[in-house]
Amino acid sequence: MIDPEARYLRTHEWARREDGDVFTIGLSSYAIDQLGDIVFMELPQEGDTLDQGGSFGVVESVKAASDLYAPIGGEVVEVNEAVPENPDMLKEDPYEEGWLIKIKASNPEEFEEMMDAGEYKHFLETEGG
Amino acid sequence: MKRTVLYDCHVESGARLVDFAGWQMPVQYPGGILQEHLETRRSAGLFDVSHMGRFEVGGKGALDFLREVLTNDAAGLPAGQAHYTLLANPAGGAIDDAFLYRFYEDRWLLVVNASNAPKDWEHLNRQAAGFSGVRIKDLSGELAMIAVQGPKAEDIVSSLLDKGPLPQSKRNALGKAVLAGSQTLIGRTGYTGEPVCFELFVQASAAGRIWQILKEKGAHPVGLGARDTLRLEASLPLYGHEYGIDLDGQEIPILTCPTGRFGVDLNDPNRRFIGREAIAMQSAGVEKRIYPIRITGKGIGRAGSPVFLEGRQIGRLTSGTMVPYWVRRAAGPANQGEQGAGWQEHFTGQSDQRAIGLALLSGKPGPQTKIEIDNRGRRLEAIVVKRNLDNRSALFTFAVIE
Repeated sequence: MIDPEARYLRTHEWARREDGDVFTIGLSSYAIDQLGDIVFMELPQEGDTLDQGGSFGVVESVKAASDLYAPIGGEVVEVNEAVPENPDMLKEDPYEEGWLIKIKASNPEEFEEMMDAGEYKHFLETEGG
Repeated sequence: MKRTVLYDCHVESGARLVDFAGWQMPVQYPGGILQEHLETRRSAGLFDVSHMGRFEVGGKGALDFLREVLTNDAAGLPAGQAHYTLLANPAGGAIDDAFLYRFYEDRWLLVVNASNAPKDWEHLNRQAAGFSGVRIKDLSGELAMIAVQGPKAEDIVSSLLDKGPLPQSKRNALGKAVLAGSQTLIGRTGYTGEPVCFELFVQASAAGRIWQILKEKGAHPVGLGARDTLRLEASLPLYGHEYGIDLDGQEIPILTCPTGRFGVDLNDPNRRFIGREAIAMQSAGVEKRIYPIRITGKGIGRAGSPVFLEGRQIGRLTSGTMVPYWVRRAAGPANQGEQGAGWQEHFTGQSDQRAIGLALLSGKPGPQTKIEIDNRGRRLEAIVVKRNLDNRSALFTFAVIE
């Protein structure tokens, strides 16, 4: 399942423009499915500043820990605290209820550098992530 | 890539397959690792362990040979029993850990780790050259191996019985019976910590049918993911983590691992076996030991995570992850250490999770010692524990969270 409105990284984070320079960031359903049962998550705090490509948290399954990478740099303006409390939300609704953070982009053009839904779909089919 | 004879069963069940030691094996089925772990603890797990190596040792020289290449004393193993043992090197490290099954008077079945099977095979054959009348046969292809583990395992396995009894209700007891029309070797053994446990050796041609029936009778397929969380919760060692070369490049002495003691027999002073001198030295004391730990703070420790005591590094985790458990209603003092029935009474049907591990530590920290575990630069609070799973009752296990 791919949200056609969102753009994607090769590391499976998605971003969606909400309002002006504010973007919502999450993790694709493909990545969540690959991880298996998610048992621990860490997200940044509101007010933290992220660099594009920097780690903004971690998602851990029984088997492994994976970093979350910021597709766009900027300031964290909102954190979905409910998700680390109940990681099942990610599996159930990765593009709506299971969003992770909202970020006020310092350089909104970074959004355009990401793969669009069609490119991401092609990426999954050809490289399998 | 090799496939076990049960490969089609796994695909049909929707398993996610991974490459494990050259085998294409199920890491989990659609229910997921947490559910498979919990089902094993509450009812029964069904495991394809046919990827493990199964070597039959027979011939006039077999016993002398086994007494030299294995750390436990095969002469002390009567027919109808199995024991834990190791293949040691002269330095007292483990080439592998294994289980030796004596289903017959005159021949033995040695079950070894899949990842070490080719190395073990070569080692055993090289050693056998020094003996006369030793015959080693690789039965891994013709005999499949299926484990059924958990409180309902006995009901499930007995429902397939056509002829012959199950082995007597004692850990490591062995028997032969006809299960669903097929001659089967049965051991009360396993790698989950469950007190009710079976490992079945069935003809490869019958394995798919037996697997299917066990599943229909209520055993839940469990992949390698939950196999690992189950063994970790029971503090059972895994070669490559608690045996072999540690993460600092040093060989782990066999007696570093408390389980190693059950696999070493030094009683007969006249028995020479490979590694004996080194292991005898270890029995006087080893520098580091493997301890079960539990993380009390928020987070997970992983194999390799450094462990600190009062700010000083004392070792590393050798294994670590998050495992699920069934929450018990608080048991009053009268129910402490009760048998199976007591457990059921306190069973809430709710599950939770906890991060646990095994750690290779120096300084002999006692139970409840507070330690810190570094996970990606963050220090997590943890304690050394005696055990993470209590499996001393006859039927059920329960999570220890003191």
